Amino acid sequence: MPEHIRYNRNRREFLTDCFCGTGSLAFASMLAQEQARAARYNPLAPKPPHFEAKAKAFIFLFMAGGPSHLETFDPKPLLNTLHGQKRPAEFGDVQYQNVNSASRILGTKRTFQKHGKSGLEISDLLPHHAGIADDICVLRSMHGDMVVHSAAQYQMMSGRVIPGFPAMGSWIAYGLGTEADNLPAYVVMPDPHGTPEAGQPMYTNGFLPAVYQPAMFRAGKRPVLNLELPQGVTLERRRKTMDFLRAVNEANLAAEDTEFAARMSAYDTAFKMQTEAPEIFDLSTEPKETLELYGVGGAQTDDYGRRCLLARRLVERGVRFVCVVAGGGGAETEWDAHSDVEKNHHRMAALTDQPVAALVKDLKRRGLLDSTVVLWGGEFGRSPESERGQGRDHHNTGFSMWVAGGGFKGGMAYGATDDIGLKSVVKPMHFRDLHATVLHQMGLQQDQLSYLHQGRRERLTEVHGAIIKEILA
Amino acid sequence: MMKRLSAVLAIGTVLAAWNESAVAPLGTYRPAERRHWAFQPRKDVVPPAFPDAAAKRWARTPVDAFVLEGLRKAGLEPAPEADRTTLIRRLTYDLHGLPPTPDEVAAFVNDKAPEAYEKLVERLLASPRYGEQWAHHWLDVVRFAESDGYEYDTHRPDAYRFRDYVIASFNADKPYNQFLKEQLAGDEMDAANETYVVASGFNRLGPLRKNAGNQEVASSRTEVLTEMTNIVGAAFLGVTLGCARCHDHKFDPIRQSDYYRMQGYFAQTHPHDIVVASAEEQAAWKATVTPIETEMTQLRRQMRRASEEEKGKILTKLEELDEKMPDPLTAMYAVKNDPKAMTGIHLLGRGDYRNKGARVGMRPPGVLLPEAAPEMPLETEKPRLKLAEWIVDPANPLTARVMVNRIWQYHFGRGIVSTPNDFGRMGTMPSHPALLDWLANRYVEGGWVMKPMHRMILMSNAYRQASRSPLEKAAMEKDPENKLLWKFNRRRLEAEELRDSMLAISGRLNGKAGGRSVMVTIDQELVKDLKRPQYWSPTRDKSEYDRRTIYMIYKRNLILPFMQVFDSPDTLLSCARRDQSTHAPQALELLNGKLSNELAQSLAERLLRERPDTEARIDLAWRLTAGRPPSAPEKALALRYLDDGPTNPEVLKEFTLTLFNMNPFLYVN
Repeated sequence: MPEHIRYNRNRREFLTDCFCGTGSLAFASMLAQEQARAARYNPLAPKPPHFEAKAKAFIFLFMAGGPSHLETFDPKPLLNTLHGQKRPAEFGDVQYQNVNSASRILGTKRTFQKHGKSGLEISDLLPHHAGIADDICVLRSMHGDMVVHSAAQYQMMSGRVIPGFPAMGSWIAYGLGTEADNLPAYVVMPDPHGTPEAGQPMYTNGFLPAVYQPAMFRAGKRPVLNLELPQGVTLERRRKTMDFLRAVNEANLAAEDTEFAARMSAYDTAFKMQTEAPEIFDLSTEPKETLELYGVGGAQTDDYGRRCLLARRLVERGVRFVCVVAGGGGAETEWDAHSDVEKNHHRMAALTDQPVAALVKDLKRRGLLDSTVVLWGGEFGRSPESERGQGRDHHNTGFSMWVAGGGFKGGMAYGATDDIGLKSVVKPMHFRDLHATVLHQMGLQQDQLSYLHQGRRERLTEVHGAIIKEILA
Repeated sequence: MMKRLSAVLAIGTVLAAWNESAVAPLGTYRPAERRHWAFQPRKDVVPPAFPDAAAKRWARTPVDAFVLEGLRKAGLEPAPEADRTTLIRRLTYDLHGLPPTPDEVAAFVNDKAPEAYEKLVERLLASPRYGEQWAHHWLDVVRFAESDGYEYDTHRPDAYRFRDYVIASFNADKPYNQFLKEQLAGDEMDAANETYVVASGFNRLGPLRKNAGNQEVASSRTEVLTEMTNIVGAAFLGVTLGCARCHDHKFDPIRQSDYYRMQGYFAQTHPHDIVVASAEEQAAWKATVTPIETEMTQLRRQMRRASEEEKGKILTKLEELDEKMPDPLTAMYAVKNDPKAMTGIHLLGRGDYRNKGARVGMRPPGVLLPEAAPEMPLETEKPRLKLAEWIVDPANPLTARVMVNRIWQYHFGRGIVSTPNDFGRMGTMPSHPALLDWLANRYVEGGWVMKPMHRMILMSNAYRQASRSPLEKAAMEKDPENKLLWKFNRRRLEAEELRDSMLAISGRLNGKAGGRSVMVTIDQELVKDLKRPQYWSPTRDKSEYDRRTIYMIYKRNLILPFMQVFDSPDTLLSCARRDQSTHAPQALELLNGKLSNELAQSLAERLLRERPDTEARIDLAWRLTAGRPPSAPEKALALRYLDDGPTNPEVLKEFTLTLFNMNPFLYVN
């Protein structure tokens, strides 16, 4: 299959890189040689982008369940005027899960204020966001095709409304490899409350080779599966085991055997991960001030704060894509405010607002924000009409997300919904436009980043997404 | 002028197609489109003959003659025959997905009979392990799973019947035309035949989206029809039909109207669960369900008059009740036609159920039919059987080619067409077109049975080549992908083979066949990552945990990490060919994972139990994992390693774990 990743190279190249008399080389250069060799047989070795990239890393703060745009970034005073009434006919119709023709407009209890030099409007639900107003670009005209969680989450992650297609993280790891040789390229940190509706398939590599699958981090101090030595095995013993394994494999290695060489290199990488990664997961080395900034130790913020801080540490060390999930395990532990938007969103905001703002500030002061795309948002927003009295239903025809860093403009709002936040009416931005634009910032051209599968050259954007130049710095 | 006129006509056609009540045109196909190799009738080819003695000696079977012809044209030579230890390991993995035992290896190596190899092939083909191994290939292609996928990922606890049906079909060497018809249209053939009915569950294997409050009935139906249609293209025809769902196929002569005419065969098809539970079970189930359903009906009635606030409470209550519903009764998952619930089939703009275009009936893709072949009405009786009969018609140019190509691929690691689900223009050209036709002709003439095809391939010299050639360097320059088979393709064990082998080698494999799938106890973190964790209820009898992987549950939202890391498919889309990726998490899984460590422990215990001293243990360990005794350097390395404590449990377990990680175990030469 021509499109399958093959590591066939010509004989001369191979001999030079791999077996060219390591014994005769000066000892000092052996390490460098070793590294070069490891890179050569590691399919995740960094690959050049299609053109100069603005960003090297991507952090997706996934607000699962669908946070309300009407309570966060998209002020609609008319909602309070129309509270309790039927939706005026001039706004048109959209399809809902539960809201129907009998439903009434629900006003918002949140108030909006302008923040920062830019005067970007953010609601009092997210007080810490006020401090990053000038760094974020709110996308007020987002829209997707599906009004149910699972399908909408698939579309947001993979560009397709059905499962089985590679997620953004897998596409980007496929396109760019990773700079970290002791960590996974693509990391997902799930919410300890459980999974969002679309489940495991939403994060996975689909038909891309398994090397591009995400490392699903677990809660607690040992997030990576199989990184610890098995019980009863000392490090000293394991070192001997690794030497034994290498020697046996070398005894079976013929010249020009790229596949065996690649497998031996995978073992080297694995051992490196095993010995070096635990230090990266240890947050106790961070200064107290940083821990406090993220809310580590805080009653509500500890969990998401830890995960955001870990996300920073990962991209700092060259990890390509990190998804930090907020929400999972059911409506009440997601942004899925069916029955009471106030209660639900206050709870979710209390968990995430401070850590999210801290991450942006921390990346910025470390000079990492320029090279890191931070994306915040969920699979849809919430309905202007009420569901069950105080709740809001799923809503995919107009909602907000935001991007920061990675060459995006800060302190601006792009596009607009109508006066009740029902439909995206000014510069509508589809998920595929978002995908095309973030790929562009990562130095990837959406059509070039493709993979032939069942006769079709599959892409993240499925069809063509627009690159929204207006939000690029 | 002509150009402009045809453009105007084209626009006219498009507009006509975008009218719900119009009938879509039958379409026309240019001669150039019809000329694509895969749409041409199979050629009646004869194997090439060679004048020289060397060629005559090597080309012992017709398969060899075709392969040798390709090699000679490229100036290449076949590799010499592999040694017997290699051959028996290769064959046993190929046909059983398991390693040969040391006794089996010894018996074959010492068998002086001229037909020793033939006897070995026959023994392997006759074993029920054969069906288990070859069924898993087919299950990949048809994306078999035992849960719905999407958010609830509801289990299909009786889906194992389909898996067992596939295994039994392979073991019985059921003719492929029959196998295909049973799957596509078993219910139409004989609704009283349980085998047929279970087979028809094929039509329901795709992922299924169910949402509690989902009002998009039409959308869900479209998705179901899409799943049923696309798989026919991918699995049976090797045509990427799915590409024509939203618009005419960009590369192949498949029009959007062809796509929806194929969908027409499924317009009457609906899921049908045939309960097989006993009368008592049914009564008990009903007793649990009736009060819940009654309450739900009442609540729904209340909802109509309820205020907004009350409505919320009712909805919450309904969801709670839904969770209380017991698992459905034991059933056979089948389909049946319901003409009253027939879906009108229209062209859908961009595949969206809201953009209805012209109506269609049912018809196979036009490029495979005479020009202007009529369609049949959607009301046609036994529509899927008609489709199946068209597919297995000996004159269908695709069906036999596609299937023999799959057989070839699973034997050689690469198909004659290396894109087995795509014989279209975006697929690859066959490396041996004449051989493909020759094999397909034999397949059809022989009544579509597989075992003779296996024999034809396995008896060949091409199959028996070593996986390294003495002319390796020169051959690599000419044919780096080994398309022409100047040597055998070495391959890595697949996820199932790896797990099953470790079980077998450590002496723990539970050979029980068939029945309900096993759920093992797993990391709680993984279970927590399910929307409905309650579905993961581990099998009580722990001895079941050591059964072959094909009997483990295939759950769409929880592919076990061990399986996933070794390229097991995600069961969401048809998988025609697995990747053989190589990366660090595989090493971490095998070095530190629970499964490999536990089984290494069992293997260490076995070595202690069965062999009196270190040298003998090393010897057995290599025979079990690599299928051969250790080489002198390997033996020296092992002795040195075990010097630290030849019976020390930690040392010995790390020793056996190393064997599970070494290349001579992980690869089949």
